[in-house]
Amino acid sequence: MKIKIKSSKNFTLFIIMMMIFILLSIVMPSKFLTGINLQSMASQFPEFGLLALAMMMAMITGGIDLSIISISNFTGVIAALILSGSMDSSTPAGVAILFAVVAVVAVSMVCGLLNGLLIAMIGVPPILATLGTQGLFLGLAIVITKGHSVSGFPEVFMGLGSGTVIGIPVPFMIFALIAFLVSVLLKRTRQGFNMFMVGANPVVSKFSGVNNTKVLINTYMLTAVLAGLASLIMISRVNSMRPGYGTAYLLQAILVAVLGGTDPDGGFGSVKGLVMGIVILQITQSGLNIMSFSPFFKKFIWGFALLAIMVINFLLHKYNEKKRIQSMTDMKKAAKAG
Amino acid sequence: MNLKKLTKKNETYLLLIVIVFSIVINTINPVFMTVENIFDLLRSSSGTAILAIGVFVVLLSGGIDVSCTAIAICGQYIAINVLIASGVDNIVMAFLISISVGLALGAVNAVFISIFNLPTLITTLGTSSLFHGLLLEFVGTKAVNVGNIPDSIKAFGKMNILTIARPDGTEYGLSIFFLILVIVVVVTWLILKFTMIGRGIYAIGGNREAAQRTGYNIRKIQFFTYCYAGLLAGVMGVMHLALIRYSNPNYIVGTELNIIAAVVLGGTRISGGTGTLTGTLIGVALITILQKNLVLIGLSSYWQEFFIGMIIVLGVTITYAQNKINARRKLSIDSV
Repeated sequence: MKIKIKSSKNFTLFIIMMMIFILLSIVMPSKFLTGINLQSMASQFPEFGLLALAMMMAMITGGIDLSIISISNFTGVIAALILSGSMDSSTPAGVAILFAVVAVVAVSMVCGLLNGLLIAMIGVPPILATLGTQGLFLGLAIVITKGHSVSGFPEVFMGLGSGTVIGIPVPFMIFALIAFLVSVLLKRTRQGFNMFMVGANPVVSKFSGVNNTKVLINTYMLTAVLAGLASLIMISRVNSMRPGYGTAYLLQAILVAVLGGTDPDGGFGSVKGLVMGIVILQITQSGLNIMSFSPFFKKFIWGFALLAIMVINFLLHKYNEKKRIQSMTDMKKAAKAG
Repeated sequence: MNLKKLTKKNETYLLLIVIVFSIVINTINPVFMTVENIFDLLRSSSGTAILAIGVFVVLLSGGIDVSCTAIAICGQYIAINVLIASGVDNIVMAFLISISVGLALGAVNAVFISIFNLPTLITTLGTSSLFHGLLLEFVGTKAVNVGNIPDSIKAFGKMNILTIARPDGTEYGLSIFFLILVIVVVVTWLILKFTMIGRGIYAIGGNREAAQRTGYNIRKIQFFTYCYAGLLAGVMGVMHLALIRYSNPNYIVGTELNIIAAVVLGGTRISGGTGTLTGTLIGVALITILQKNLVLIGLSSYWQEFFIGMIIVLGVTITYAQNKINARRKLSIDSV
């Protein structure tokens, strides 16, 4: 039964995605369906796509991670300081980049560990724990830079955010690789399986021998690392880092995760659905940009879309439930008659 | 109340923290403990406290409302624009408009949450974006400067219920904002303590299933809760306007997490059912002192975000660690 609903959900998403794509292509083929537009779309979404992947993983375990944007800010500032510092001290670019990447991964893991410890060891609800650490990490980013922005990175590093290889933007390839890895993690590994178990019912999973604490700590470390990687793409794309950058991504990440079929109560979600959600968001955004709608109207649209999707899901669920009961009573009647 | 009971209460510890903190600030900078500074703190934090009470009621019912700030700014900005456009210069009118906007938007939240049964955090995140987007797109984006603010609103902002003369002859006083806060506190207390809906808010927050079987109408209670939070946000919108005598449609929005933090620090459980008004007010006091007085002890304002985050993390860690220890203790007694 569940598989049927699941596949139909992804199918609906696919139809919506294709409809929007075809609609935009027909309405304005000269602007939407061009190589440049497709390329720019593919280089725009990866940074927030990674954040959405992180949000989805937290939601699968029945939690939420409000601190991902702040982690991105914090690690972004650290990477930016290392990279711009290397420009002054004439360190080779390769060494500086390697150093920055290692620092980002290490720092984000520590951030994630803090979230994980608060949530899994002390039992603080995820929304509260990450609400607090959100302020903490953003605060650290502000304290380090004194609120100013950091800019000026080695030329090579810009390739990460704005380069292309045979016409395909580098950030898009990074996103594709990581999305694939997350998909493998969720489907083929013990950690992934346990994440769904914990999300569906933590008590049952605990008594089935799953180490809930370990699973949750790993999950929040993974979401933090994804946020850290997003920050690398972010700073290389805009060539500077300012604490507070990308706060709008929080709502969009939740929106895309829910749009992509992730259950905010936990236990359900897929990379396939999420990627379709991201594509829908990105082509709609691009369409709205071409039609030169104001950013405020877009804000309205995102809120509206989030609510609409959830209402539709609710109605679909109710309808399916009704049909199930109907078919059961039909069967009973048939059995009686027979 | 006896001492033993007091030591078991969350509020006692919180109040102690606030007192210790105040003494520390005061020894570094004696300006803090003057009556004038305290009156000023009360004036500037009354609005925040009212918004926090709205969030408190929602949290009690087991939900969360992150759209309250968006509702407050919608109420404020629509009210000021209507007043200017119609030429009516009346503070009551401003409150009426803002409160009706607040009620209407609160009802939108209520419809999604009580009828469609959607998760409250995600719903209010969505409506927050929806309301603010609508406001900026269709009402306007221009800030209203002090010159264009109607006189009645400016006068309201300066109104005092108690005035004290300084030695040099000038006066300062306790703002009328404090009186509004007192009214809101009393009304909320009465509702929570003595009405069926108020008891129901605690009941559905504590155990939804049990409340439903007892015969509480969950839909009605949830509807009331979100409308009430919207109403309070409308009140806060006008107070904020009178306080800063300036209206920017991008203000207030973005402070919602600080407000939730204040309520949670005050001991309200995020899963609902437990919490007190006193705790909420002390929580607001703590956050306000942190926000407004770091400068008094010589720390730059960019430490603010970090300190508030730190306080939230420490506060919730202590609360939940305590819960965990208590639960373990209970288990061990039961097993003996």
